[in-house]
Amino acid sequence: MIEVLPESAGSGTHGGALLEVDDLHVEFRTRAGVAKAVNGVTYSVSAGETLAVLGESGSGKSVTAQTIMGILDMPPGKITGGEIRFRGTDLLKLPEDERRKVRGEGISMIFQDALSALNPVFPVGWQIAEMFRIHRGASRADAKKKAIELMDRVRIPAAKERVSDYPHQFSGGMRQRIMIAMAIALDPEVLIADEPTTALDVTVQAQIMELLAELQRDSNMGLILITHDLGVVADVADKIAVMYGGRIVENAPVHDLYRNPAHPYTKGLLESIPRVDLKGQELYAIKGMPPNLLDMPSGCAFHPRCPYRQETCTTDVPPLHTISGTRGSACHFWREVLDGDAQ
Amino acid sequence: MGRYAIRRLLQLIPVLLGTTFLINYMVWQLPGDPFAARCGQRACPDSYISAMRAQFGLDQPMLVQYWHFLKNLLSGDLGVNFNQVSVASQLADAWPITIRLGLMAVAIEAIIGIAAGVLSGLKRGGFIDNVITISTLFMLSLPIFVTGFILQWLLGVQLQWINPTVSDAATVGELLIPAFVLASLNLAFTARLTRTSIVENRRSDYVRTAISKGMTNRRVVGVHLLRNSLIPALTFLGTEIGSLMSGAIVTEGIFNIHGIGGLLFTAINNHDFTIVVPVASLLVLVYLLANLLVDLLYGVLDPRIRYE
Ligand SMILES: Nc1ncnc2c1ncn2[C@@H]1O[C@H](COP(=O)(O)OP(=O)(O)OP(=O)(O)O)[C@@H](O)[C@H]1O
Ligand code: SF4
Ligand SMILES: [Mg+2]
Repeated sequence: MIEVLPESAGSGTHGGALLEVDDLHVEFRTRAGVAKAVNGVTYSVSAGETLAVLGESGSGKSVTAQTIMGILDMPPGKITGGEIRFRGTDLLKLPEDERRKVRGEGISMIFQDALSALNPVFPVGWQIAEMFRIHRGASRADAKKKAIELMDRVRIPAAKERVSDYPHQFSGGMRQRIMIAMAIALDPEVLIADEPTTALDVTVQAQIMELLAELQRDSNMGLILITHDLGVVADVADKIAVMYGGRIVENAPVHDLYRNPAHPYTKGLLESIPRVDLKGQELYAIKGMPPNLLDMPSGCAFHPRCPYRQETCTTDVPPLHTISGTRGSACHFWREVLDGDAQ
Repeated sequence: MGRYAIRRLLQLIPVLLGTTFLINYMVWQLPGDPFAARCGQRACPDSYISAMRAQFGLDQPMLVQYWHFLKNLLSGDLGVNFNQVSVASQLADAWPITIRLGLMAVAIEAIIGIAAGVLSGLKRGGFIDNVITISTLFMLSLPIFVTGFILQWLLGVQLQWINPTVSDAATVGELLIPAFVLASLNLAFTARLTRTSIVENRRSDYVRTAISKGMTNRRVVGVHLLRNSLIPALTFLGTEIGSLMSGAIVTEGIFNIHGIGGLLFTAINNHDFTIVVPVASLLVLVYLLANLLVDLLYGVLDPRIRYE
């Protein structure tokens, strides 16, 4: 098996990390009450590194990403604490005008549903070209030429002929490629991909993941890949952050986590991946429901579903224990979880 | 799109034939002899009535009458009215005024309606939004003739800022308040439609994308959001051109404007169907063409629309 070295030795200026989310708290104030969607998330990504963010639906993956991009719905959303540092500067304290310049130039994002994320009434080439026109002051003709080059680069066939087509005239996979072309137009240092393949066919999924990996290699971007599919990330990610109930419950280099998870929730997730050698056998799925964000369980948010649960779990919130330099687990009993797997 | 437009234009022919036939039929079938009451206090002599009936073809079968109508229409000869004045010249005097009034009303609807809708949509729940919502509710609940009489009385009689009636020249300045009255209902509706679509689209994924592309707020709102939010309002304005025409008749009556409305109004009172029929037919034509224009405009505004 190939050992994966953490690629922190890079060009970043702050201990290698380009983008650091530090103890972020976000809540939604709705009529039903206060939903604590993000409760102290900490993660980081360096140049050339791929961080996969995993977790089931509602665990706060997208909200964290939206907060990084500054596209959170406020209200009802409210950032109640934490920092988001890009090259050492806290984006949350930046005036809107400077924050805007980071978007697209420094950090870009692609979304799950490219059809709704692209503007239906403008040609795709126009939407890509807009990046050069607005950020770089390029002329219409130059910007269009660059848009065609980018469409070529993300391998859209007959880019030159299709530059004036509208989003609805493309297939799902091609639309996502257009999204990607737009996001990488200005060579951003960090790309956030929020479930970029969930809406696509399986074969197309693999092509898009390949494209992302290739683009990242070429340009040395930091990539944050949000997904709830553990199978997808094994090949592309360097490290993984697992989210549950708006918190990071485990983070680890990808192979460590696969080989030996240190949190019961991660273990449950791993056991629920369909495996060829177990075909026909019943899958292990994590029992119970995701936590109610309006009324979080006391102590460890995972305790109602946890097979390792002890008395203390219902009262004490487990901190993110450091297991080694690159690993952490928010479980009081991470040693037992690790041991149990290592037998 | 060219082929589609041609097909739609061809479709107009049977519709126009049908509607004009109905107009002719209805109008000549109405009770009361149009000539019997034309001689002041006395009853008209039978010789006069039969001479007039012969001149205007009333003694012939309905279909023959309709055939004559079509033939004259196509040759551009609309004949004379009951007072022996050329119908075509009366229409030529009246149409430009009504068209000016209508275009001004559409411009007012579009500019004020959309601007108000965008403002209140962007500042949802704020002071401006409340002011606009209340004023549009006002406009929506008042019929045009009430709005017309109120403004005529207030601005024309009480404050004397305008002339209560419009002169024969019917200049743009004179038509401003009548056009506003005519526009009021649709203006209010346009504002509401625009507000709703701004509010809906504001949270849409493509607006979020535009923000995350690093576009300025001005550009996000003024280009990405606005372009999508205009679709329902502009479509509505187009389809309402027809109803604008009937509103114009009322408005012209209130402000004594000598347009098509005024002409039609007197003609109906006098049972003068030589005027009523061509005017009504023209209104139908305007309505149909406006609808066609809207369908084509819709495709320009929204590329997802297919013409098949
Ligand atoms: N605009 C909003 N208003 C109210 N609540 C919201 C809003 N956006 C997100 N939430 C809540 O925040 C929680 C976290 O949502 P988030 O979208 O981050 O989940 P996720 O981890 O991305 O899930 P998924 O895998 O389904 O995308 C959810 O419970 C959701 O209901
Ligand atoms: S802290 Fe307790 S409940 Fe939470 S994951 Fe660990 S063992 Fe389970
Ligand atoms: Mg999500």
